[in-house]
Amino acid sequence: MNRRRLTTGALLLMLIAAGSILAGRAVAQSAGAGAAVKSATATKPAKSSAKAGSTSTPASFAPQTITVGPVADIDAHKAFGSKAAPVIMETFSDFQCPACKNLYLGTNRQVMDNYVTTGKVYLVHRDYPLPMHAHSKVAASYARAASYIGKVEPVEEALFQNQEKWEATGDVDGTVAAAVSAADMKKIRDLVKAATLEPLIARDVELAKAHNVTQTPTTIFYAHGQTYPYAGQINYEFLKQFLDQLLAQK
Amino acid sequence: MNLRRLVIWVGRIVLAGIFIYAGYSKLTMGMHPRPAIGVALTFFQMTVDSYQILPPWGVEVVAKTLPFAEIALGVLLLVGFGLRIWATLITLLIVGFFAAVLRAYLLHMQINCGCFATPEPVTLKKVFEDGALAALAILMTVFAFMEARKPHPWTGASSADKVSA
Repeated sequence: MNRRRLTTGALLLMLIAAGSILAGRAVAQSAGAGAAVKSATATKPAKSSAKAGSTSTPASFAPQTITVGPVADIDAHKAFGSKAAPVIMETFSDFQCPACKNLYLGTNRQVMDNYVTTGKVYLVHRDYPLPMHAHSKVAASYARAASYIGKVEPVEEALFQNQEKWEATGDVDGTVAAAVSAADMKKIRDLVKAATLEPLIARDVELAKAHNVTQTPTTIFYAHGQTYPYAGQINYEFLKQFLDQLLAQK
Repeated sequence: MNLRRLVIWVGRIVLAGIFIYAGYSKLTMGMHPRPAIGVALTFFQMTVDSYQILPPWGVEVVAKTLPFAEIALGVLLLVGFGLRIWATLITLLIVGFFAAVLRAYLLHMQINCGCFATPEPVTLKKVFEDGALAALAILMTVFAFMEARKPHPWTGASSADKVSA
């Protein structure tokens, strides 16, 4: 009798677990569909990107975003490659996350060299500083400011390469200062202090939530009218095969 | 119907449904229209690789066969012919999935589970879900072997009798 009760109890628990999986799946699917609709309706005509890449002072500009294909609210200073590329790769990243460091150093740099510079992929970097990381928001602010004076690559590289150091000390400023000239550092500090670019980071965070991004790094691929969200690190060799498959599609 | 047979039936329906859905969602990625099979399989390769368990050739083999194997095993489990064979294979697969997810959770790996079409982080909830399914699969398989030794409630024949005959 007891054995029978135990078996019945175990069976009930398993049924509840299976039910929760199926219910969770249905909710996730509907939430995903909602995000896709939201993303599509948020797409608006491209704004002028004349200022993209220019060097400005905090008082002389307001942050502008552009729309490329289905991806809206792109900060052109944090996007790379041809806007006509058949594949768009949108990466939500946190400067203090170790997996994001691996993705940047091990994969995305090779993507830049082999796919972005050749016009096959348009790479969009979104900031998603997680609340659990004490200094990642500051790091995002410095990197964003560096992008507005044309120094995004050395600064992002310095932040990721020295992640463990500034994570321990909180010295983001010193890490960035070691990667750029004194004059550039002054401009970066001015931009960070003015906080003009903060709305762009806040917008990236809003977009991450709209796309149901639950972890960093998360990369969303857009090609041929379809969206492929991927969470976690990516090995370059397998990413290469995936990108080649997307590019081979008619 | 006795409780063991009920467990077998519930296990067959639940696990077959989950396996067929999992295989199908890996191939369609939850998209309408579905992407090319090659795109879906290379995308799934990235997920299999992220567990950092298999060498590159192993990743390719698993990624390119698992979705089809899941659908086939799910259908065979539902049909019920050769039940003990398919139940055993499904149990081995689920126990393997559970071990992989548990390992990823314990190592704090920031990866996508890859179980279905939607990206899901490996959380404690996911570990429990996989653990419950593994337990159901084990119970179903053990009961399938035990019940096969008894006369069938409808026909009176047993698989063990057939083998000895």
